[in-house]
Amino acid sequence: MTAPAPQEKNIETSDPTKGAGDIAGSKIGVFICHCGSNIAGVVDCGKVREASEKLPGVVVVKENKYTCSDLGQAEIIKAIKENGVQRVVVASCSPRLHEPTFRKCVQQAGLNPYLLQMVNIREQCSWVHSHEKEKATEKAANLVQMGVSKAGKLKPLEAREVPVEPTSLVIGGGVAGIQAALDLANMGFKIYLVETQPSIGGKMAQLDKTFPTGDCAICILAPKMVELSRHPNITLLSYSDVEEVKGYVGSFEVKVRRKARFVHEDKCVGCGSCAEVCPVKVDNEFDLGFGQRKAVYVPFPQAVPLKYTIDKVNCLHFKSGKCLLCVKKCSNQAIDHEMEDEILTLKVGTIVVATGFDTYVPKRKGVYKYWEYENVITGLELERMLNASGPTGGHLIRPSDGNPPKRVAFIQCVGSRNKKIGNNYCSRVCCMYAIKNAQIVMEHEPETEIAVYYNDIRAFGKGFEELYHRVREDYAVEFIRGRPAKLTLDPKTKSIKIRAEETLLNKITEREFDLVVLSTGLIPSEGSKRIGKILSLTQSPDGFFMEAHPKLRPVDTAMDGIYLAGCAQSPKDIPDSVAQAKAAASSAAAPMFARKVRIEPLTAIVNDDLCQGCGLCVDLCPYSAPELVPGDKGGMRAHVIEALCHGCGTCAASCPQKAISPMQFTDDQIYSEIQAALTETTRRHSPKKKAEAEVSP
Amino acid sequence: MNDTNGFVYFFGCVVPNRYPGIEYAVRWVTGKEGFNLDVKDQKGFSCCPVPGIFYSTDKDTWLLLAARNLVLAQEERRQILTVCNGCLASLLKATEYLQEPKNMGKVNRVLSQIGKKYTGIAQKTEGRRKIFEPVKVRHYVEVMAKDVGLDEISRRAKHPLKNIRAAVHYGCHYLRPTERAAFDDPNDPVMIDKIVEACGATSVDYEDRLDCCGAGGGVRSHVIELANALTQDKCQNIAAAGADCIVTGCPFCMLQFDNAQKSFSKDGIPVMHISQFQALAMGIDPISLGFDTHHVSAHSFLRKVRGS
Amino acid sequence: MTDKEKEVEKVFIGGLHEKLVEDKIIEESELDLNFSKEIRKYGGKDVMTCLQCGNCTGVCPISLKIAYKTRIIMKYCQFGLKKYTLDTRWVCATCYRCYEHCPADLNPAEVMIALRHIAIREGIIPPFIKTAATNLVKYGQSVKPDPEIDKIRIELGLKPIHTHDADYQTVIREIQVLVHASKYDKLIGIQEEVKV
Repeated sequence: MTAPAPQEKNIETSDPTKGAGDIAGSKIGVFICHCGSNIAGVVDCGKVREASEKLPGVVVVKENKYTCSDLGQAEIIKAIKENGVQRVVVASCSPRLHEPTFRKCVQQAGLNPYLLQMVNIREQCSWVHSHEKEKATEKAANLVQMGVSKAGKLKPLEAREVPVEPTSLVIGGGVAGIQAALDLANMGFKIYLVETQPSIGGKMAQLDKTFPTGDCAICILAPKMVELSRHPNITLLSYSDVEEVKGYVGSFEVKVRRKARFVHEDKCVGCGSCAEVCPVKVDNEFDLGFGQRKAVYVPFPQAVPLKYTIDKVNCLHFKSGKCLLCVKKCSNQAIDHEMEDEILTLKVGTIVVATGFDTYVPKRKGVYKYWEYENVITGLELERMLNASGPTGGHLIRPSDGNPPKRVAFIQCVGSRNKKIGNNYCSRVCCMYAIKNAQIVMEHEPETEIAVYYNDIRAFGKGFEELYHRVREDYAVEFIRGRPAKLTLDPKTKSIKIRAEETLLNKITEREFDLVVLSTGLIPSEGSKRIGKILSLTQSPDGFFMEAHPKLRPVDTAMDGIYLAGCAQSPKDIPDSVAQAKAAASSAAAPMFARKVRIEPLTAIVNDDLCQGCGLCVDLCPYSAPELVPGDKGGMRAHVIEALCHGCGTCAASCPQKAISPMQFTDDQIYSEIQAALTETTRRHSPKKKAEAEVSP
Repeated sequence: MNDTNGFVYFFGCVVPNRYPGIEYAVRWVTGKEGFNLDVKDQKGFSCCPVPGIFYSTDKDTWLLLAARNLVLAQEERRQILTVCNGCLASLLKATEYLQEPKNMGKVNRVLSQIGKKYTGIAQKTEGRRKIFEPVKVRHYVEVMAKDVGLDEISRRAKHPLKNIRAAVHYGCHYLRPTERAAFDDPNDPVMIDKIVEACGATSVDYEDRLDCCGAGGGVRSHVIELANALTQDKCQNIAAAGADCIVTGCPFCMLQFDNAQKSFSKDGIPVMHISQFQALAMGIDPISLGFDTHHVSAHSFLRKVRGS
Repeated sequence: MTDKEKEVEKVFIGGLHEKLVEDKIIEESELDLNFSKEIRKYGGKDVMTCLQCGNCTGVCPISLKIAYKTRIIMKYCQFGLKKYTLDTRWVCATCYRCYEHCPADLNPAEVMIALRHIAIREGIIPPFIKTAATNLVKYGQSVKPDPEIDKIRIELGLKPIHTHDADYQTVIREIQVLVHASKYDKLIGIQEEVKV
């Protein structure tokens, strides 16, 4: 694809002495981007150019259709090389998008890359003022004037490099975490995988089959789990929590709490004799209360590691100080009720966050009667029942009487697409898991009647539409477009009557079902909330972690060296989770292969002569970047650890001595911008003033 | 801190003009022979105005008329004690609207024509600024359950209605919209049930107890058959639960139940306001409660009460 | 369906079914494309975000009885089918159940109220509105005082209805001033009752 030829308007001022005034002799080049019609459709770029030409110090002003294109960049290089431009101002999009591009370009032309000033006339001008073109043009000219003024004050800076530890921490042992860990380990890096549960496997291990292909979830996951546990490069820390993360990309210091299992992992062979003799039976969380386990347990037969764990809350010994049947039974002396939590400190270069999701559970009594009626269950509970190794051995039964249900209803969008409860998003998987489960139920019991109450069926993935078609064609699953309004219980049969409008019929229908399955949506996991705080990750309004850029950096976070995988970032299905895990692994690998990472020099610098060592910056910094060190002339002085500093400016704003300032945002530079904004230079020539002058008598 | 002094009666339109028995019961229960609350009469009150007519057709007029009533309570520095869900909904919503300075200004410009101004009730001065609180609008049920207290109601029920099975009808505007300063759980309201139980009676559960009586929003006035059809459903559910009477906090719902039943049944289930029910338990002579103005005869119900 | 129900349906659906069948195609000229904005003006939240899930219909006590379906009204509003919606405007009991259940956090009951505002301004004024408004400006109450009730009031030991009292005439005057100031008397055609 070739970019359209930019419409160029070269204006070069012939008088090089112009602008020698307050901006000490710097020659400034201004490059105004049309961004196709993104900017030029609103802002009159010609007028901005005319205004810019008159600014002091400006020797070259150019307009380009796309400044970021090869041709646009060539203009910048040419201006530096041929016109002796010393400071470059690019008026285009947000610096978040193309600042790196133009820095490279400026550097290529032999200029220090930090002598570039970006002026955002797209996101902060043309896009937000699309209905007021004249004002937008005036604002763009003003912004350019501010940028030019600051450009004169820019100082050359040098980027620094820090070494990268070739070790990665993966938080979360669901399918995304497992995949990211395996990929990174196969590339030769050392991996720590931390999982809070006794076993890895996550939610996928709980599922029966996967849509749309019908692969058995645990059959395809278990080999990966085993591979992970045996991988020489992977240290699996199950039943452990990340407690604290310090440091920065390349060298994070991580504190991990290994919760006491009361079973020594090195001695336990997973034979299960302890569980056989354990007298305590409690609901198994893994089966969502449908099945039971002992107080010493593995959550499911394929658990990895296959090491037993004692549940302190329910163990008789912890309650009464007696029992110890398991200790007597274990031939390997693996059980140790005296075991204590252990804190490990790990040093890693990168972190992959794969903390997954929880399923929504109706919070209070209400319309869908989850807490009131036994025969209303959630989709995940159905998965456990359909699972051959689940609590019912794969038989679908009604919780009220243990009989197979003849009529089953699915209710879609429970906990998703609901503004009332604040979950506005679509959970992306519920349509397909309900359809898939409908198919499995029909395969088990072909006589079952199934109805799916839906709002919209979203069968957007590969093979999804075909499955949606198949359940209607082969199994005559009925789809009712309407959100159920009311569920009523028949007290004798425990069957449930659903009242809903069949919106495509414009009729209210009432039908009775033996079992009602709520297709509950996905919500950010509890673990995500905790880890998000520890790592200072930002979240989108829905509570899922925010990626650095929704299109171009979908697995990065705003924090260097920390990457996202799986449902921690947003609801997604298994193939998408795995794909994102692989992407996160590859992103995390890049700095580890390079063994070093460049750190932007836009950090805070302390002026030792002014600093009094009050320590206010140390207290306020959200990244713990400043520290107090002994000064040359005695007393304490602040010193900024560059790799930790994000250049946010909190310290500079609070320093009573004005001794600390972030590079490229010094008081001097910002004041010059403010000054420029307040001077009349551009305003006098602004189109708006002109227009007013023309109409006023 | 709210230094408003007691209450002012707001009976609305239906109670004085259709069910004077309720007015008597409320005055009696809140008066000297009852809980001796500090309640005053205010003769200047007009219709709240009724939401199904005025709020539905012109919100500006509705707000003006409601504000006029609120100003009267503001001048008395008293809380409004309403016995009707409609008055509660209308006046509460009006206080919310008037929290918006824009609305308040607009309303006051017109109110000045009749020499009135709504500000809310002045509470205290903070520096040079006066703090105003909106006029408080309280439902009879809330005042009974919270200010008087269930223990006190139960203590004073010297004639507990032990034999009586009452079906409680809350009414829509008691419950919804839920984000309104609610005094009861809109999804699982309990206050009237608790008052009924405090009176010694049994509150029976029945299907769709939170459903509408059918009368609101102008439906009763406009399409009485439709309103009655809804009431019929409710009455069937109530009859199925074996209730002796319907107890409600809303005279308009009561009007609907009382009038509609003759359209589909011969006898019907007697219906009464919670204040009448309370007064019975407190030992009032039923003759004072004006049951003979009701369409559905309370005869057998009262016989059962005497047997309690 | 009983005869009575049928009759109710005829009155309130305004022959809607027949019309739809006859028209076959809804011409663009029949649509009022600014209808949703007009509704918003009278306090109906943005009807355009309605998902058409039908939850409102399912919980609506009126929708159970007649062919009036809350969701359909919302659809008409989205679509700009003003003439169909105005046929169904007076049967909402404003019980707000639709609002409680709406996953899009819309308030269909308030939309119905906005539709009533619009209908009134199109000159569609049901008689009971006039009656109630007349009662208000005459007696200060929307229910007409009944002399029979006054007898009972006296029997019970209550004072007679005070709306006839001489000092209540100032209240009625005040009400008339307010009704006149907001032009409500003109809006629903009760000017002759308001003497300001």
